[in-house]
Amino acid sequence: MDNLFVALFEILSFGAIVVLVVLGLGIIASMMGIFNFAQGEFVLLGAYVTYIVHSAGAPVWIGMVAAPFAVGALGFVLERSIVRRFYAAPIVAMLGTYALGLIIREIVRGLIGGLYLSVPEPLGGSVNIGTMHFSSWRLVIILITALVMIGSYLLLARTAFGLRIRASLENPALARASGISTNAIYGATFAFGAALAGLAGALIVPVFSLFADLGLRFLIQGFVAVMVGGVGSFAGPVAGAGVIGTLAAALPWIIPPVIADVLVFVLAIIFIKFRPQGLISGKGV
Amino acid sequence: MTETTPTTSLPLPVRVGHQRRWQVLPIIEIVVLAIAVLLPFVLKDYLTIYATRVLILCLFALSFDLVWGYAGIMSFGQAVFFGTAGYGVALIARDLGVTSILLVLPAGLLIGFAFALLLGGFLLLGRHPSSVIFVSLGTLTGSYAADRVARGWYYLGGQNGIPSIPPMSLGSYDITEGPVYYYMTLGILLAVYLLCRFLVRSQFGLALAGLRENEQRIAFFGYQVQRLKAIIFSFAGAVAGLAGSLYAFHEGFVWPNMLGVVISTQVVLYVLFGGSGTLIGAVIGTVAIEAVSFWLSNSYQDIWPIILGVLLLLVILFRPAGLISLILSERERVGNFGRLPEEGDRGSS
Repeated sequence: MDNLFVALFEILSFGAIVVLVVLGLGIIASMMGIFNFAQGEFVLLGAYVTYIVHSAGAPVWIGMVAAPFAVGALGFVLERSIVRRFYAAPIVAMLGTYALGLIIREIVRGLIGGLYLSVPEPLGGSVNIGTMHFSSWRLVIILITALVMIGSYLLLARTAFGLRIRASLENPALARASGISTNAIYGATFAFGAALAGLAGALIVPVFSLFADLGLRFLIQGFVAVMVGGVGSFAGPVAGAGVIGTLAAALPWIIPPVIADVLVFVLAIIFIKFRPQGLISGKGV
Repeated sequence: MTETTPTTSLPLPVRVGHQRRWQVLPIIEIVVLAIAVLLPFVLKDYLTIYATRVLILCLFALSFDLVWGYAGIMSFGQAVFFGTAGYGVALIARDLGVTSILLVLPAGLLIGFAFALLLGGFLLLGRHPSSVIFVSLGTLTGSYAADRVARGWYYLGGQNGIPSIPPMSLGSYDITEGPVYYYMTLGILLAVYLLCRFLVRSQFGLALAGLRENEQRIAFFGYQVQRLKAIIFSFAGAVAGLAGSLYAFHEGFVWPNMLGVVISTQVVLYVLFGGSGTLIGAVIGTVAIEAVSFWLSNSYQDIWPIILGVLLLLVILFRPAGLISLILSERERVGNFGRLPEEGDRGSS
């Protein structure tokens, strides 16, 4: 029974990590219609900023607060200068953002070398219930994921800014005619998605340690999750991330990890093939 | 890349009289071929070996150019066919002891074809036409999954792959790396190139080009769009398989990276850089990137991938048709298709 709870906790915390990573990806894909291949590198950058702040002697949590702002700012600059040219053609956008991601990844690789650098958890220790131990940091990740999810949802569904974003998604021409600057909205949305990725990177770096290919691993998982959930809505990618994250964490308890890892992807692709619109179809929030 | 130029004007299918237009493409092709033939005479031995590897990668790049440059299928998993064929022939050589070139190369070709047929059939065929995004993600995922399987499978050597594959043989003669392997690869590359050139300039190629420019319109014409795509995807898989088996025997070992995302995206870089949809652009892109990479790898190993990324970004932003478009006109890039009717029988054809 104890083991079951520990397993469930592991699955939940990994699922939360995937949701966190996918959220930014999903918002950019759903609200702007482009698949951002540099998203994994935004996660990496978030982790890197945290590491830099930590190695400069400041507490880790300061780095974690700084990471989303730094990555979001970079995302904004990239969107203004480069990504905006790609909106007309989704495939070109994939390739262009892939090139961006390649540049970021290789720069970070050059800066840290081929090393695995560890960053301590800002909140160590564990919470004990009876004989079971739950890592406090993973609990914090679950908590923050829940908060970010609720926050993003409220931002998109309940605020005037969210309304503008959705308007720009559903009918850009009409949105412009109504006096909404879709250009500015796209920039802000992209920056927001990048900031979420930066936050994800900052939070998971104590768990996974920092290495140049950190983002790559989450990129494919994230895309598959977005497709499984369904592009175009807010709930879709989150649901997809939940499913993929849970499966990816749960299956290795039952079957060998390598097979589990591959099986998740194969199942996901088969699912998308027969239900292209994803778990949750439809646009909006 | 072609989506940025949606209204490519196809030339009229009429040749006025017998006057010939000045053609740049054949000149480029002949110059490249001449350089390739003469290269082993001027290169040192170890460079010839490197050049052989580049030729094999050119063959691989051709396979990607066929699917992306001609049919508009974004395959981020071309390495699956390259790698499985490499692993396949390595297993044939290791476990069955068969190294005859007359058996292993067709085997590699068939393996590549079969895997491409399976993956392409699944991703492309079906009741609902698949979105471009789905196909590119599906192939990318396939590549990632194949890499993971190879890493975890003890029979395939796990992380280390399969080392010390015996050399290919023709009768009792061992084909080892060096000028012989170079010219053999060049011959195969030339043959495949000519075959592809014939294919993309045929009426089938015209349908493919139409697919790339405007898929819906081709479907309205009554073409079986998905079937066309699956055919060219499988054909390209066979080419990639051939390249993979040549690569396996040339290097003497196979390892999981051959299947993975890195090689899959590398071939995308080659083709985009050189110019997709021209065949020769794929070759030029591969040679250019590999040559600069070799040249820089000693002194600037760390910053080379960054430069590569920046170059790719610049090409995508400012030269979507690739390096080749600097000297090749758009009209010639699109080219003519099939047999041109003479002016007299225009109405009847």
